[in-house]
Amino acid sequence: MQNPVRGPALAWGLIAPSLLLTIFILAYPLSTLVFQSVHDISRFGLLRAFNGLDNFRTVFTDPVFAHVVWRTVQWTVCVVGGAVLCAVPIALILQQDFYGRGVARTIVMLPWAVSLTMTAIVWTWSFNGQYGMVNASLAMVGVIQEPINWLADGQLAFWVEVGVGILVSIPFTVTIFLGGLSSVSQDIYEAADIEGASRWRQFRRLTLPLLKPFIHMAIVLNVIYVFNSFPIIWIMTQGGPDNATHILVTWLYQLGFRMGRPGEAAAISLVMLALLLAFTVFYLRLQKRQSAKAAA
Amino acid sequence: MIRSDKLVRSLWCWLLLLPLVVVVIFPLAVMFFTALKPASEIYVYPARWLPQQWQWSNFSAMWTQTGFGRALLNSLLVSLCATVLTIAVSVPSAYALARLKFRGQGGYRQFLLITQMISPVLLVVGLFKMAASLPWFDGGNMTDSRLSVVIAYGAFGIAFAVWMMTSYFETIPRDLEESAWLEGSGPVRTVFKVFLPLALPAMAVTALVTFVNAWNEFAVVYTLIRSTEKQTLTVLVTNMVAGQYVVQWELVMAAAICAVVPVAILFAWMQRYMVQGLTAGSVK
Repeated sequence: MQNPVRGPALAWGLIAPSLLLTIFILAYPLSTLVFQSVHDISRFGLLRAFNGLDNFRTVFTDPVFAHVVWRTVQWTVCVVGGAVLCAVPIALILQQDFYGRGVARTIVMLPWAVSLTMTAIVWTWSFNGQYGMVNASLAMVGVIQEPINWLADGQLAFWVEVGVGILVSIPFTVTIFLGGLSSVSQDIYEAADIEGASRWRQFRRLTLPLLKPFIHMAIVLNVIYVFNSFPIIWIMTQGGPDNATHILVTWLYQLGFRMGRPGEAAAISLVMLALLLAFTVFYLRLQKRQSAKAAA
Repeated sequence: MIRSDKLVRSLWCWLLLLPLVVVVIFPLAVMFFTALKPASEIYVYPARWLPQQWQWSNFSAMWTQTGFGRALLNSLLVSLCATVLTIAVSVPSAYALARLKFRGQGGYRQFLLITQMISPVLLVVGLFKMAASLPWFDGGNMTDSRLSVVIAYGAFGIAFAVWMMTSYFETIPRDLEESAWLEGSGPVRTVFKVFLPLALPAMAVTALVTFVNAWNEFAVVYTLIRSTEKQTLTVLVTNMVAGQYVVQWELVMAAAICAVVPVAILFAWMQRYMVQGLTAGSVK
């Protein structure tokens, strides 16, 4: 039976408020970004002149920029990859029936509840070279003799931040996989047990293929979140020391709000948007191909 | 026999989870023990885990010295208003997507997906400019106004809320609505008397997630809000750390605990509904 009220007018009427609000919050800032990116703007927001692609040229030729792009790639790949690799076994364990599972699930989910901001602040203090508990604990168990100045060295600081990034991405990823696992019926495992398939074989041949769409989804969503992730790096090192931990978002923030170069910041925003859009299109294509395959 | 089986399995599971448990508990322990140290025990080398003197008064000192209460109210106000805004505009959309068929349905879904990809941080330069160019009652503009933050959060919450609620709504059986129509109940009445009560749990979970996201957001509020009396908790705690010559870590951690605990409780309770929601959403 059909819904008695029909017609596109009603549907669009229902959708209009959300659509208008979204367009309002996207369209104006986007057009401003485009406008700013092709103008010379003073640090106080005063418009000086149209300068074509000068802002883009300045951004691209800045020696820091290439490093920032490369670091953004490293950041995104390592955090997303690390989170997915850790989350699969964790989800498989949490799926088991064992004593204290509820407690374990809650503990695994905790980093999600503690906001990125607070997480970053606590880790900043924990990784303090002299007074931090990371060094103190490592010294206590005898792993290190001398305190390590974690956040003072750019390379080291960046990998510390990658670690924190992975940690905070695990809960969301595990949640997706748990959802996926709970939709898998147990019968096929019983059948596999009867046929004498080993645990590892069951994982490779049954669990992994069944989890594939969920892994896919976790990767896509995490890439978006991690690529855009601002608080961890901004709070722990502000992109320093010596610009060695900047990724694109923190670099654009630095240019726009710290160094008074809003035109260049706008240019970076647009470059990032283009990258995300390319990724979205790629993802939609992939999804279409997969559903076509599933239908065939 | 079966019992001891489960016992062995439990030991294995916990053993395998141990590294993660340590890494999760570690910062929470740092938070807790630092918050209870007197100032004189903060900058001490080598650092110790436990305070020698447990200083519970750090919490009251933090409350009076930092303006925590005001920031807490701001966080509550901004997050609540943003949640109400998001839910108010998203419920009709989700209903339309789940129950009606119309041209442009697929297009609207794709539009939502794309907006989901655009994080507010990317637009932050533009958002700031927009707030600066919109006039406001007091003769100034909308930078440094909580309303601009509410609107931004409300709008950026839509994509997730619609997606989440549509997938829930689609699992609500149509039979009840159909029998209501057969009995002559009008469409509006049916929606309010039959559909919405069934959709309430979904709306509640979505509202909670939206609320927590707004509560934890950092970049937008950090950029738009300048005056201390309007800042939210994330900005307050960040400002206690950034640009200070000597950071009073015991107060920072006390503030962090107070900001985190309510949300953590909310989350622990909500988490199993999240698994259900994500499953319902992704199976299709």
